Amino acid sequence: MVHCNQMHDLMGKWIAQTLFCCAILVSSTPLMAEEMNKVAEFNRSVANYEVPKLTVVRNDGQKLPFIKELDDGRPVIMNFIFASCSAICPMITHVFAKVQSKLETDSQKVHLVSISIDPENDTPTKLSEYAKKFGAGPNWNYYTGTVETSIAIQKAFNAYRGDKMNHASLILMRAAPGKPWLRLEGFVSPDTVVNEYHNMMQQAVVK
Amino acid sequence: MLLHPASVPGTRQEFSWFLSSQRLLLLCLVTLVSVVHAELPAPDSTEVELGRRIYMEGVSASGAPLQGNRANSGQIEGAAAACETCHRRSGMGSLEGNVVVTPITGNFLFATEENRPIALVDQRAPKNISRAHAPYTEASLAKAIREGINVSGRKLSPLMPQYALTDVEIKAVAAYLKRLSAKLSPGVGEDTLHFATIVTPGVDPKAREVMVNMMRAAFSQRNATQENYSGRMRMPIDLIPRTLRNWQLSVWELQGAPETWGAQLAEKYRQEPVFAVISGLSNGSWTPVHNFCQQEKLPCLLPNVTSPPAETAFYSLYYSRGVALEADVLARHLRNQEKKAPQRVLQIYRDDELGKGAAEALTKSLHDSGIQVENRVLQGQDPSGLKQALKGVSSKDAVMLWLNPTDLAALKKAAPKQVPAIAYVSGFLAEESYSVVPKKWNAHTRVVYPYELGEKRQKNAQSLKKWLQTWNLPLVNEALQTEVFFNLLFLTDLTSQMLDNLYRDYMIERAEDMLSLGSNVSAYPHLSMARGQRFASKGAYIARLAKDGKLVADSEWIVP
Repeated sequence: MVHCNQMHDLMGKWIAQTLFCCAILVSSTPLMAEEMNKVAEFNRSVANYEVPKLTVVRNDGQKLPFIKELDDGRPVIMNFIFASCSAICPMITHVFAKVQSKLETDSQKVHLVSISIDPENDTPTKLSEYAKKFGAGPNWNYYTGTVETSIAIQKAFNAYRGDKMNHASLILMRAAPGKPWLRLEGFVSPDTVVNEYHNMMQQAVVK
Repeated sequence: MLLHPASVPGTRQEFSWFLSSQRLLLLCLVTLVSVVHAELPAPDSTEVELGRRIYMEGVSASGAPLQGNRANSGQIEGAAAACETCHRRSGMGSLEGNVVVTPITGNFLFATEENRPIALVDQRAPKNISRAHAPYTEASLAKAIREGINVSGRKLSPLMPQYALTDVEIKAVAAYLKRLSAKLSPGVGEDTLHFATIVTPGVDPKAREVMVNMMRAAFSQRNATQENYSGRMRMPIDLIPRTLRNWQLSVWELQGAPETWGAQLAEKYRQEPVFAVISGLSNGSWTPVHNFCQQEKLPCLLPNVTSPPAETAFYSLYYSRGVALEADVLARHLRNQEKKAPQRVLQIYRDDELGKGAAEALTKSLHDSGIQVENRVLQGQDPSGLKQALKGVSSKDAVMLWLNPTDLAALKKAAPKQVPAIAYVSGFLAEESYSVVPKKWNAHTRVVYPYELGEKRQKNAQSLKKWLQTWNLPLVNEALQTEVFFNLLFLTDLTSQMLDNLYRDYMIERAEDMLSLGSNVSAYPHLSMARGQRFASKGAYIARLAKDGKLVADSEWIVP
């Protein structure tokens, strides 16, 4: 359960992020703003997160340091799901599946990372079945672990909402280790994710 | 005017006659309406069946998979596109994150504002009740389904796909929705809500007594607060109007062989239809009860059983997989030891459904592990039986004791001089009776322990202990009693949040979604469920006996 103070913190963070997001909206190109208006169901922000030093279990059953999985040099697009979730998760996973096929020919192989927020139920076997159902390729991995690990990762990315039933539709992406994370919260179309990804990669090269 | 004494009850009667005449009038009207309806073409059973297939299975009229289109994420089809995916089997909707899927049964969609029931669509925020809107018609329903525009002219959530349904299909869906969760489930009376608990033969009478007494105490406590309901305003949820119903409890005691339980249950159910089965006790078979609940579409919530059927069913929810879970945890633990793992495991069990189930689970779980499993069936009632079963045990062997406290008690006399490498004890079956382990064996004994340990356990059990004191009830078996206590609190939450929407399917769906949000007063580290999940606790510790006799964790929480 989220403690009251933590809740306060979360609210604070959320407000700060929303404000930040508005600032980005105002400062971004007119085309961007128009696109946002068309699908105004999500919030966009940029943040730095410290990846926790924890061991996770990949859907192939391997135990690995989470930080290594994220910092292998590839760009990362990440989401949080659970296999028994019937409404939101199939949709965000469906978005990932579309993103996967749209970025298939991309020279830089993006690492798609799906983290279970119901880790005790989502065993590596169950996650592999789930991955297969949505056509996950070799660059799309699912991760589970202990309840504590899953919560710690969610907290590190400001994605913890106290219970899996409170989870939000969230996509995070990062161009390379050490770069900031781009955060898309809400219902995002595969095209938007791909556009955001290409913009992020371009900016990373320019800088 | 002088009142004749008899006229006092007479007044009440008159009043109730007035009420019933109103009811009669209503009934006439309803009948009239249904007669008028009956004269309209269709809703025949094929139409409803077509609606059911679209709603539940995602199969369109042509037999092809249903196609849905989400503006944001594209095409979905078949089962993934079925209405049931989000609106659920009951039609009462669901909740995930900040996405509220509203009820869409006929009672909600097509009713006028005055007749529409109230549903709490977000248990976390009691102000979020089902919204006001003009009654849907087939035309406005079609617009919502095809174009994603609701009856108030607003866009539906991007999560709601759009479906190019034909007129025939729209009619079929409307006909199905009108029948979905249309009537309150059996067991719901005008001012009562009837529950049963089930006790199978052969359970410890003390356990039976304490479970039933706890349930009766909680029911009367709950009903007493119900009587003062009009003055109650402790939580925002209290302000949402609902019918006041007293809880009633029937204790269904089964007798004889498990093969006869089905018929006994059917007879009891015929005499007293109940809304749900709450808790219940068995130290062996539970399958006939499980099957009965499925057959009658009767929710069977969290019985205290150590060996639930492996095959899950919609209407039965359990705390855990019981001894089968312990078997899987032990197998995982042994496999993790790799080269250090024992070469042989002798498992000792009784030749009954429980014992055989546990033994089979371990054999299956250790298949291909390189660890040999040898079965030893415990015979007779005196220590010589256990002695016989332990014969030939070597210092390299592991032993798994699938034994209850009575059988374990023989260990002091039956233990051979040769101590096995490790003796594992089933936590579910041993019921905390570890003092029977011979001193020489202490350091070699491990318990496959499905509950929380240490301070956290103490903290979780604290509210039960205080509550028992208030009601002057004994603490006989902490694990069992925390299970009953959790279930009673959960039931209170569940029914209060369902308001007057007392449909059994809805109850199961709410339980799936809400279990992890309930306050964990159980002996388990965490309880969690979700759509399709049927076991709330999913792991166990391997624990050892400390010098003070207490259990301490010897492994992490293992989830096989």
